[in-house]
Amino acid sequence: MLFNSGVFLKFFAGFLLLYWLVRSNLRARNILIVSASYLFYGWWDYRFLGLILFSSVLDYFVGLGIARQTDARRRKLWLALSIAANLGILGFFKYFNFFSTSLAALLQKLDIPFHTSTLRIILPVGISFYTFQAMSYTIDVYRGAIPVCRNLVNFLAFVSFFPQLVAGPIERASHLLPQFERTLTINRAMLEEGAWLILWGMFKKVVIADNLDALVSMVYGNNAYSGPAVALATIAFGFQIYCDFSGYSDIARGLARVLGFDIMVNFNLPYFASSIREFWQRWHISLSTWLRDYLYISFGGNRRGAARTYLNLFITMLLGGLWHGAAWNFVLWGAWHGVGLIAHRAFTTRTTPGPGIGRIFGWLMTMLFVFYGWLLFRAQSFDQIVNMTRSFSEWSRPVWIGSYVTNLVVFVIPLLAVELWQFRSRNSLVPLSLSRWALATWQGLLLLAIIVYWERVEVPFIYFQF
Amino acid sequence: MRSHTYDFSPHDLLRLLGPALAVVAIGAALLHAGTWLNAVPSPRPALDVDRTIVIHKVEASGSRSDAKVLLVGDSSCLMNAVAVRLGEAIGEPVLNLGTLSYLDLSAHAKLLQRFNAANTNQLKEVVLLLHPEALRRPAAEAYHTAAFEHFIAGKDHVTKRNASYWLGLEFLRGRILSRVLPTALPGAYGRRYGFTYDLEAHLRRERGSAVDPDPKTFQGNPEYRLATQLEAQSRAFKAAVPPGVKLLVGITPVPAGFAPSDYAERHRRMLLQWSQWLGSDGTLADLPATLPDDLFAKTTHLNERGAMEYTALLARSLSSH
Repeated sequence: MLFNSGVFLKFFAGFLLLYWLVRSNLRARNILIVSASYLFYGWWDYRFLGLILFSSVLDYFVGLGIARQTDARRRKLWLALSIAANLGILGFFKYFNFFSTSLAALLQKLDIPFHTSTLRIILPVGISFYTFQAMSYTIDVYRGAIPVCRNLVNFLAFVSFFPQLVAGPIERASHLLPQFERTLTINRAMLEEGAWLILWGMFKKVVIADNLDALVSMVYGNNAYSGPAVALATIAFGFQIYCDFSGYSDIARGLARVLGFDIMVNFNLPYFASSIREFWQRWHISLSTWLRDYLYISFGGNRRGAARTYLNLFITMLLGGLWHGAAWNFVLWGAWHGVGLIAHRAFTTRTTPGPGIGRIFGWLMTMLFVFYGWLLFRAQSFDQIVNMTRSFSEWSRPVWIGSYVTNLVVFVIPLLAVELWQFRSRNSLVPLSLSRWALATWQGLLLLAIIVYWERVEVPFIYFQF
Repeated sequence: MRSHTYDFSPHDLLRLLGPALAVVAIGAALLHAGTWLNAVPSPRPALDVDRTIVIHKVEASGSRSDAKVLLVGDSSCLMNAVAVRLGEAIGEPVLNLGTLSYLDLSAHAKLLQRFNAANTNQLKEVVLLLHPEALRRPAAEAYHTAAFEHFIAGKDHVTKRNASYWLGLEFLRGRILSRVLPTALPGAYGRRYGFTYDLEAHLRRERGSAVDPDPKTFQGNPEYRLATQLEAQSRAFKAAVPPGVKLLVGITPVPAGFAPSDYAERHRRMLLQWSQWLGSDGTLADLPATLPDDLFAKTTHLNERGAMEYTALLARSLSSH
């Protein structure tokens, strides 16, 4: 069930009604949330439900097991069970075919006979998100960072909460789980904030990202490239993936807000970052902090000297790239950012350059780095990466370049205008400070634009595949 | 334990949603009023490949042109005959008004009449080209025919009064957005032409001809025949040909590997019969019934190389009439 679909609108309207009916009973509310979340998730394929249920129940009992044990070795065994099961599920459903075909290709090159077979595995939507979310719970319980959850319904609701189930943010139990255990208040400010987030997120997805999708496919689906076309298409993709993913996160946060919940901020104006380190503090924050807390720090972080720090950074980013998908270009993208972070750390201890020209130069270099990274991310093969990179030396203009630039400008300018306003005011909710009718006019125009572009084939969110 | 409390009033909810919905309603009302008062631009919904092509043909047929030879027909005429190359070969300016397969002879006749009205006593020859697939089809598709009629009449193509209509979306898309923002074309058309504006520019530059950029495996039923309804439609078409203008008729080729073994003979008989119904001044019988498979993009359209070769054959055939 996509947020940008008619069926979701009906689903959510029905849910709001039932949510109102169960307002006096916390247990009924959480049962309703679990039921609705499973309906939401099963809408894609009911067979996915078994997997999320298994993963959730396992982690729930692992949490209880860890809490019950005082023996350090046994606690570790419980944790190992959770990690092995979660990574096993993820590895099988997401990476089995990738690794088996990659291994076969490698052995074939070495002239070693090897028989492999690929399985017809359906990749469950959002598996990487909820697996990481559930795993973080057991690790936090093991570390003693959070108390164990002793209510299965609450835990199921935490893992499957439908606003953020399939594309994040990857919530932490310390933040979200307690919200299922207490009475929530929904006030006018929360409604305003929720409505704004839903509207702005939907605008970013339906109007900006889906229109840019056609521009990106026009070039990335081709076999012949020219420098300007590749450059423009890569810029378009940078904005498409940002609007698609941050749009989803905004809608998720908005829906949760309307229900009285608070979900973490996942994007904080990443294209205003003036260093690669700052970019990762602003982009997909729930994943980057997850990788930091559960991988980078577990590897030793920066506690074992410079060389080990760089290695830890590189491995973390490599795995972060692989998290995005079972393909080598994602690994390459992770490695690209790993190298960028290492270079940044090697040359400066500051997260961002100082003000003035240094900051502008830093921003420019960061954007060049990040957007070339998007080429690695979007390309479908190594050959395409090589050919597209080579095309930068061939600067002929396609006949449609005027139309391309017009579209890019028309769809990106509203985003940049709003984000510049948010950046300068250091307040992501600054549009809500407009006067009543100015805000209404603006929201009305956003709504109209969404309606204009709503009536076409629903384009799934890019991050669903991860 | 209580689940949640609502700390706002229905009035708050109304204040939150009402103004934005009011703005949408005002926008819709303005669009309807603007349309009714002719204060917004006239409809020109060139928003995809099909509509861009048909609107271009409607406008080209109603504009001043130097063309002495007019190509009319279905998409095989549009994609197989290269008007500029043909004009150079026969020494007369050519305009290709070939449209799309879901329109029929009556639509082609309307384009011809519009051209003649805008360029009186100028035409020398009308060349009607259809694919055998179109010859056995009994009727045009109602939706597309209605759209074509609306384009000619300069009306909005509104088929039903649904929410989209009441919100004024058709007016916004067809009258304003299509004029100010080029729409990216999907798939192979996007990769070849780019956007609606660029497809139109290509059609203008190529005097109405296009190239099929989307190769597909051959499919369909090769048992070609003439639909009985074609007889009446053909006679009506002939009536639209201005006096003194020569009407020549041809059937565009099918892939040799796709056609039945007796297709050359069937093609000859179909052309003769159809020519009789049309009362044509000549049949392009020397044009091949089939061409090698590698010259085709799909069963009904030649590829770029095929169109060049076919145009050379067409020029030779026209020169002999």
